[in-house]
Parts: sequence; C-alpha cells; structure tokens
Amino acid sequence: MSTRSLTKRFDDKAVVDQLALAIPTGSVCGFVGPNGAGKTTTIRMLLGLIRPSSGTGTVLGGNLGDPPSYLDKVGALIEAPAFYPQLSGRANLRVLVRLGRISSRPIDDVLHRVGLAERASDRYRTYSLGMKQRLGIAAALLVSPELLVLDEPTNGLDPGGILEMRGLIRSLADDGITVFVSSHLISEIEHICDHVVMIQAGRAVYQGPVAELRARQGSDIVARPEQIEDLDGLAALLQVAGYEVRLELESEAVVVQTGADGAAGVNRTAMNGGITLQYLAERHRSLEDAFFELTGTHSRDTQQRHELEAVR
Amino acid sequence: MITGAFRSEWIKLRRPSLLVSTYIGLAAAAALFTILLFTQAGNGRHRDGGIPTLTELGQPNGLIHGLSQATVLLGIVAFGIAAAQIASEYSLGTLRQLLVRQPRRWVLLAGKYLGVLTFLAIAVVFAAVLATVVAFAMAHGRHVPTAAWTSSTGISDLTRALGNLVLAVIGYASLGLAVGLFIRSSVFSVIIGFAWLLPIEQIVMRIVPATTPWLPGSALTIVGQGGTASVSYAHSLLVSLAYVVVAGALATVTFIRRDVTA
Repeated sequence: MSTRSLTKRFDDKAVVDQLALAIPTGSVCGFVGPNGAGKTTTIRMLLGLIRPSSGTGTVLGGNLGDPPSYLDKVGALIEAPAFYPQLSGRANLRVLVRLGRISSRPIDDVLHRVGLAERASDRYRTYSLGMKQRLGIAAALLVSPELLVLDEPTNGLDPGGILEMRGLIRSLADDGITVFVSSHLISEIEHICDHVVMIQAGRAVYQGPVAELRARQGSDIVARPEQIEDLDGLAALLQVAGYEVRLELESEAVVVQTGADGAAGVNRTAMNGGITLQYLAERHRSLEDAFFELTGTHSRDTQQRHELEAVR
Repeated sequence: MITGAFRSEWIKLRRPSLLVSTYIGLAAAAALFTILLFTQAGNGRHRDGGIPTLTELGQPNGLIHGLSQATVLLGIVAFGIAAAQIASEYSLGTLRQLLVRQPRRWVLLAGKYLGVLTFLAIAVVFAAVLATVVAFAMAHGRHVPTAAWTSSTGISDLTRALGNLVLAVIGYASLGLAVGLFIRSSVFSVIIGFAWLLPIEQIVMRIVPATTPWLPGSALTIVGQGGTASVSYAHSLLVSLAYVVVAGALATVTFIRRDVTA
C-alpha cells in the first residue's frame, strides 16, 4: 500500500497534507498520532469513503481512485464497530456477505476465530464493547483479506480486551495478512507492530521499521540518590557536567539523556559531588518518546513534570 | 451485483420488529378504514360528507373505496419507513461497513431502493387483501350485494385500484428515500416529511387551491385514488413522476459524490 502527495482538505483546511505512505506487504504497521492528526481521514480515503482532494495511491495493486479494484481483498474496522442493533451477530455478518457476494461459509469460521460463536445468535445490542469490537474484526475477516485496516481497534476495551485484541492481531499477521492499525496510543502500537507511520497535523513525521526507530532512539539513564533531598543537587551537578537532565518526581529520580555507556560518567559525577546513588539503570526510550522528540511536542506527563520542576 | 445489495437489504427489512409492525399496522389501518366506511355509509341516494352510499358500495368498484381512502395513511407510513431505512445507515454508522463491501455506491443504493420498495409493495398488497376480506364481512352485515365485486369488471377495478395504490406508495417511498439521503437523520427526515405532507401541504392547498394538482403529496394521493373529479389521473401521474425522478436523481448524485464521514 502506498500513497503519493495524498491530501484532503475540508473547507480549505488540510486535514491530510501531502502524505506519502509506503507500507510493506506482510507487515503489521502502526499508524499513530494524536487525536485529530488525520489518521481516520487517511484510512477513509484508502477505503474509498472519502474522496482525496489531490494525490494518488495504490492498494494491493489497485488504484486509490478505483476502490472496487482492491476492496474485495481488504477487511476493515473503521472507528467504533457499527452494526444493526436488532439483528444478531450472525445476521449482521450475513448482511455483509450478501452485499459483497461472498460465500456465507466463512461466517462460522470468523465467529469462531474471534471467540463469538456462542453468542452469534444474540442480538448485537446485547453485546459488550469487547464483543462488538470482535464482531467488527469478524466482519473484516469475511473476505479472507490480504490487507486488514483497523482504526483504533482497542478503543474502549478493558486491559483484558486489549490483550486479547493484541493476540488476535498478531495471529492474523502470522497468517500473512498485512495489518494497518491506527491508534492514538503510541504505547499500544509498540506492542504489536514491526513497522510504524507517525503522523501529526496530517503529515508523516516518521515511517519505517520499529526496530530502526528504537535503535535510533537509544536509551536514558535513570539515577536515584540515596537521600531524596539530594535530588535537586544531583540534577544540578549533572547539568553542570554537560548532561541533559530532567526530574522524574513520581520515581524520585533524575533522567539523564545519554546512551547506556553514560552510566559510568553519571555515577562518577554523583560520587565526585558527594552524592551516593541508590539506583542507576538504563531505560530504553519508548516510541512515545520518539514521537514527541520527532514532533517537538511533549506528552501530558512530560508537561506535568516540567510544570512541577518549575514549581520546585 | 444489485441482487446482492437487494438480498442484503431484505435481511434488515424482514426483522420481526419492522416486518410485523409494518404489515400488521398497515393491514389493521386499511381494515379499520373499510369498517368505518361500511358503518358510516348511508342508505340514501346521495353521499353524506363524501362517504359512499351502500348502493355505491354494491357496485363493481365498491371494494376500492376503502383502499383509496387509505392512500394518504399508507403513503405517509411508506415515506417514514423509507426515510428511516436510509438515514439510519448514517446515524448507526453502518454505511461505512456497507460501502467497504460494496464500493459501487449506485449498486448499493439501487439494491436498497428495490428492497424497500418491494417490502412496502408487499405490505400494501397484504393490507389490501385483509381490507377485502373485511369488506366482504362488512357487506354481509350491512346487506350490501357483493356479486358485482367478483364480476370481471369488479376484479378489473380492484386490480387497477391496487396498482394505483402501489404506485402511490412507491412514489411516497421514493421521496422518503431521497429525503433520508439528504437529511441523514431518521428522526429529522420523518419529522420534515410528515410536516410537509400533512399540515404544510394542506394549508397551502387551502390558501391557494390552484396548487392542488402540483404538490407532491397531493399528486401522489390523487394517483392512489385513480384521479379525482377536478384533477386527472394522467396529470397527477406525470407530476408525481417528475418529483420522483428529480428527487431520485439529486439524491443519487449526492450519495455517490458525498464523503462518508459518519
């Protein structure tokens, strides 16, 4: 799946702006960005629901401007699952099977696969949010897709449901299906994706393998003094020594932005300043950190930390 | 392709809550109209308040009076159901699922349109059958001769009346689908449609009687009644057709071109 200069404007405002995607076949690709970044609009353009203002693209060899040429190989769950409340789960799937002129044989298979077989005859309106989400995945699997597009599939799920969904997505990827999954929770994507596209204000700020991004990201050193009163002193010492530091109040530690090999230097600086460290460890930066670094923004947590620092 | 969309639509239409309430509701209404017609019909030679006399009811076309009276009611129900069927796809968000499985939008719309129209046409025929049975029972009670009803002229009149009623209902349903597509909200589509067809048209016709042959609801009702003394059937049919074609064309173009953001 690829796009070139894909743009969508609503009332002169570019919601998706010159987006160039290149999603490798067979990958589980995360599509991440904050709410309003243009993820859902992009997905709707890929699925033929929204007409691009400009730009081109190819999905499974078909032209983006001609959705019927590729949608018979695409399964999709777009935002919240939407079905007819008075129909059963099975009848809802039958609506789609008839419409797409798909064999009705896979209905039971997909219901089994998502763990809904026993509740398939119950009305959709009696389903829990997790069950609704699973029915959405079942609907997406009806066509035996080569590409699965999932928009915020873990939205509203409890931790157990999120774990289940992760497992399901991984098992689909193991079957060779290319999965394109969007989320505003970057940490969520980190667990299931091997490729990532980061988007902000309609523009891609990074795309490539997750492993490559991690390697580029490096890690931080977390140092905690034995005496909590020494926290500010330790931060000041490290700053004077040329390190970029920030206070992490909840863990009563100083986070030093340096590679793993910087641990010895941090320890030495603290020791020379007369501060004994109780804890010194390397911490890998998350994709969330990478996103905020790439976009020059801060997460709410980081902002909170900075505000607390200012108060101190 | 349209067959798939049509059969898919019928899965939704045949759900008991919609099917039973529509079919039983319309049949009960048509039966009620027939009962009222026979109980209120007088023995005199002239009509009282537009209600046919018992002698008129014994004519070959006696059976169709009840059906004709029910045109407005059947039409408004058809309008409401058709508008709600299409608008709810937007409000439920199901349209995006449907369009991923059938990205040719005109195919989806055509299948949906045919599904709703057949559903309503069958409902009207069912209501007509029940109204006919009730009419025979009522005729027996009020000593109205029914031999003329089953004559070739009587059956021909009944078939024509039923055809006109189905045409009128199809017209109402077509306008309902168009309004549902434009408004994209079941509740508002039904409110706007009912407001136009009931009070607004009635007020306009009362203030400017010359508009009667040209208003959509009025034209469709006259088609359902097979024409009136003041407005011909052919004129009403043409006016109705014009409304349906224009509304249908605008709705189709809008549906095909509009972004799906719901």
